[in-house]
Amino acid sequence: MSLVTDSPVHSSSSDDFAAYLDSALDASSSDASSEEEEEEEQTENQDEDFKSMRAKRCKVESIEEIQGSTSNGLIEHNIEASVNVDVCTHPGSFGNMCIRCGERLDVESGVTFGYIHKGLRLNNDEITRLRNTDMKNLLRHKKLYLILDLDHTLLNSTQLIDLAPEEVHLITQADSLEDISKGNLFKLEYMRMMTKLRPFVRAFLKEASEMFEMYIYTMGDRAYALEMSKLLDPQREYFNAKVISRDDGTQKHQKGLDVVLGLESAVLILDDTENAWMKHKDNLILMERYHFFASSCRQFGYNCKSLAELKSDENESDGALGTILKVLKQVHHTFFYELQDDLVDRDVRQVLKTIRSEVLKGCVLVFSRVVRTTLQALWKMAEQMGATCLTEVDPSVTHVVATDVGTEKARWAVKEKKHLVHPRWIEATNYFWQKQPEDNFTVRKKQ
Amino acid sequence: MFFHIVLERNMQLHPRYFGRNLRDNLVSKLMKDVEGTCSGRHGFVVAVTGIEHIGKGLIRDGTGFVTFPIKYQCVVFRPFKGEILEAFVTMVNKMGFFAEAGPVQIFVSNHLIPDDMEFQSGDMPNYTTSDGSVKIQKDSEVRLKIIGTRVDATEIFCIGTIKDDFLGVINDPTTA
Repeated sequence: MSLVTDSPVHSSSSDDFAAYLDSALDASSSDASSEEEEEEEQTENQDEDFKSMRAKRCKVESIEEIQGSTSNGLIEHNIEASVNVDVCTHPGSFGNMCIRCGERLDVESGVTFGYIHKGLRLNNDEITRLRNTDMKNLLRHKKLYLILDLDHTLLNSTQLIDLAPEEVHLITQADSLEDISKGNLFKLEYMRMMTKLRPFVRAFLKEASEMFEMYIYTMGDRAYALEMSKLLDPQREYFNAKVISRDDGTQKHQKGLDVVLGLESAVLILDDTENAWMKHKDNLILMERYHFFASSCRQFGYNCKSLAELKSDENESDGALGTILKVLKQVHHTFFYELQDDLVDRDVRQVLKTIRSEVLKGCVLVFSRVVRTTLQALWKMAEQMGATCLTEVDPSVTHVVATDVGTEKARWAVKEKKHLVHPRWIEATNYFWQKQPEDNFTVRKKQ
Repeated sequence: MFFHIVLERNMQLHPRYFGRNLRDNLVSKLMKDVEGTCSGRHGFVVAVTGIEHIGKGLIRDGTGFVTFPIKYQCVVFRPFKGEILEAFVTMVNKMGFFAEAGPVQIFVSNHLIPDDMEFQSGDMPNYTTSDGSVKIQKDSEVRLKIIGTRVDATEIFCIGTIKDDFLGVINDPTTA
């Protein structure tokens, strides 16, 4: 306590100062306490600075003395002060410094949020806290989260050298990069790439942004992701610092919601690859792949001509994005206006499941001559959409799904005037969230 | 804080630059090399302001390159803990906001934003007081206090706070 003599408060043991302090404290005790808090905060900031800390403790002590509290209270106060010094839980770090107290942190902990800003990391508790506060904010604006994939979902890209001979003419038709919002086919010279936006994507983003807070989440690298977000969102109104690339994920070859600052119960995902979202299949709306360029068809093992080679494209309004937008609207409407329980307890995954189970409601399916491996997937898909699947035909059956007209079940279907459809009917129904006209999916005789 | 100091550097020069413009070449190479770089000790080199002394060149064995020791004056910028800085807001999100003062990247987390300011999402995310009188958004100018710094080889990171008297917005782009 050699410092005590230096302390300015302590040196004034004269009565008039004590009286002045007393009256000041009485007059505005709340002020005084906030001042004390501030003092403690400052102490926190200068934790290495032991000298000043000790001096401040003496100050606190002397105020206590003047107030005439017991020695017990004095000790308590001291303990409180010293606890406050190391109370910062370090909720996250920026450039290895705590974002709350500025202290240098040597151990790297928590999840990296490189897509928001370089060097930013957050701890799990802080992520939970942010998700919960953000959720309230979002629900007040009647919005949910929407995670969008890039390739094959919103657009299709190809390397220039991979262009098929019939596609080379596209290079001259590319839209100017000066007015991005008007074009949909771009040539990115320095990346040696061509990118085609999916028809309807601009209207889709505009309408979806009113119902959702949107993220981009792609397996491409960071530079590519940012470049694509510029094409999709030239005004930067949708994806402000919400572009996540494979460099930002926490697991290889997997996409995860752990780097998304949103509660899982309010997130919808739009992606063409189911396997990327192993842990979050319930949030996923599977998209039909968009193959504009031939290289992208080849990549997935299709031998057919690409849309570009055929000089055609998806339909503007009732293409894949238009259809999905309707589903999104339905989910959004159900979530906010049709559910009865408390807003916070609602789960968008449940809503999605219910809507999906309405698609094929009342249909009874029987499979015939479908390869075992695909059968399982189709069976599950059909059941998720609300259909009943049987192994043998009976009078309740409405559809026979077959690859060949010659099988016993297929012949039965024709005789009983039941629908005989190709397995693609189920896949198409799954993509469009609507029972597809059976006549478009008839089974042809094998040659 | 800015400092005007004298620093030293050994410059290597290719023989093709020798001739009557040797000195000019050295100086322009020096500027290209040091302006905009960071050092943990001195901070960010803003500009070279003058040459104090150029020492005798030394031919390096085997290469023909010549090394000149140069003493030069320059303005450096280095933030300190407790310093008050004025900065431009570059990004606002639910975690807080990022601001820039020249080369310095500052993060102000929402723990260090006054409690009466609330985050508003949208195409122009911002922090606003309940009465709407004060608004922090992209391109706002704020006065903040540095509570932690780290200087890397190329970047300076800082943690800032506006939870203190006389800190916060000093210039709003929407009203200007």
